[in-house]
Amino acid sequence: INSKRLLISLMAKPMACRLQELPVRLLYVTNTSKESKQSLLSRLNHIGFEVNADEVFTSLSAARKIIEMRRLRPLLLLETKALEDFDGICLDNPNAVVVGLAPQSFCYETLNHAFRLLMNGCELIAVNKARYYRRPDGLALGAGPFVEALEYASGRKADVIGKPERSFFQSALDRLGVSAEETVMIGDDVRDDVLAAMNLGMTGILVKTGKYRNGDEELLPAGCHCHLSETFAAAVEYLESSLEFRQN
Amino acid sequence: MAWAESMKIKGLLVDITGVLYDSGEGGGTPIPGSVDAVRRLRSVGMPILFCTNETQLTLVKLVDKLRRLGFEELKEEEVFSPIPAVLAELKRRQLRPHLLMHPEALPDFEDLDLSNPNAVVVGDAADYFTYDRLNEAFRVLIGCPEAVLFSLGMGRYYCETDGLKMDNGAFTRALEYASGKTAEVVGKPAEGYFRSAAHRLGASPDCVVMIGDDVVSDVGGAQQAGLKGVLVRSGKYRPTDEHRFDVKPDGIVDNLAQAVDMILQTQ
Repeated sequence: INSKRLLISLMAKPMACRLQELPVRLLYVTNTSKESKQSLLSRLNHIGFEVNADEVFTSLSAARKIIEMRRLRPLLLLETKALEDFDGICLDNPNAVVVGLAPQSFCYETLNHAFRLLMNGCELIAVNKARYYRRPDGLALGAGPFVEALEYASGRKADVIGKPERSFFQSALDRLGVSAEETVMIGDDVRDDVLAAMNLGMTGILVKTGKYRNGDEELLPAGCHCHLSETFAAAVEYLESSLEFRQN
Repeated sequence: MAWAESMKIKGLLVDITGVLYDSGEGGGTPIPGSVDAVRRLRSVGMPILFCTNETQLTLVKLVDKLRRLGFEELKEEEVFSPIPAVLAELKRRQLRPHLLMHPEALPDFEDLDLSNPNAVVVGDAADYFTYDRLNEAFRVLIGCPEAVLFSLGMGRYYCETDGLKMDNGAFTRALEYASGKTAEVVGKPAEGYFRSAAHRLGASPDCVVMIGDDVVSDVGGAQQAGLKGVLVRSGKYRPTDEHRFDVKPDGIVDNLAQAVDMILQTQ
């Protein structure tokens, strides 16, 4: 999901319904770290997408699982709306830094605080390392550059949770109970959605919306081909016709 | 002592922050023994250049500050900062920079055309590294395929009186990652910086010693350019600096005063 994109493309709404009618299992995967899963679901439902909690797999919830497993006490560099996903996690005396997309936290003072924790031995967890995303007023820095800044300053390497990490995609495939070869990934980010999925053996469809920029498909390595669709709606139509073709 | 015994030292490059003084509240505090150490070097006529990547002030203001802290005879010509080099480079290539710098340092760039930028210069902006300002710089880089990214040094962190702080290298790295561009480094640890400094001293690189608190930027950078590099245990120094696999300092001393003791004993 590029959650912002879904707000703009009205055509996608009837298409998502058609997608649900196809004999395929669906999982909506998102790196979005600006809001909790509940908040995202409410928003999607409100604009007409009938999506349930178990159809959505977010990098924030994957991050929470890691924190719980490793019994970490994180300093959370997250927007207020995303904090809900960490309810119940102990935040005192932090021994880890968790970085999501949090422009309000990306000021020198807060970053320095995080940097000093890392210099004292805390772990660094990146909810995602997205380079940038599309805002109404243009492209804007994602969480990735700030994770890089902390890595460079402190010498600590981050554990990256979301796309394009293999572990994230593998967890998604495990959730669906399918193999990579049986799966199609539809996304607007040529590197973090499409190439990453293809590296695991999935088929990739790149949609020319959201953060897509003209010529992004040229960034794929030689010999690597993905399908290019104008919009999510077009991608669904393409899938429908491929499935019909196979059935016939 | 071996480093001082084994060579004829024809010139010294002395780092400023972390060697002469620690920056911080009220302008900072001189490091014990450093004011006297500089006096002793002058008394034997040792050619010195004070090297800095610090760009939170103009050169004039920096010298002023250091004089007030006790380094009374310091002159602007003795301070080697990356600003003149980046100005020369911008003018030579006719670049119009977007400046991501501390406002106090901006006057040094007054003569340049700052409209319709096709370059970004990242200096020590400290508290001025906000999300919005970094975004503006990012948009210049991504909006213009030929845009050049300059970084005044690539330091990871520096030491102030209240602890370690992220240096501008981290923010340059952020912009490199976001834009896909690689920064051109002006200042330590760029080889050109050290060679120019040695040239200014009128000495060949192998007769020049760099004394600094940053094992990678000061010591490693100097060694890569053919100079000797001596690490001080003041400023941002951390014990792990002595056990790096990638940089082995030619000498390690407690502070500038001890380095000068050794120089005066052997030269």
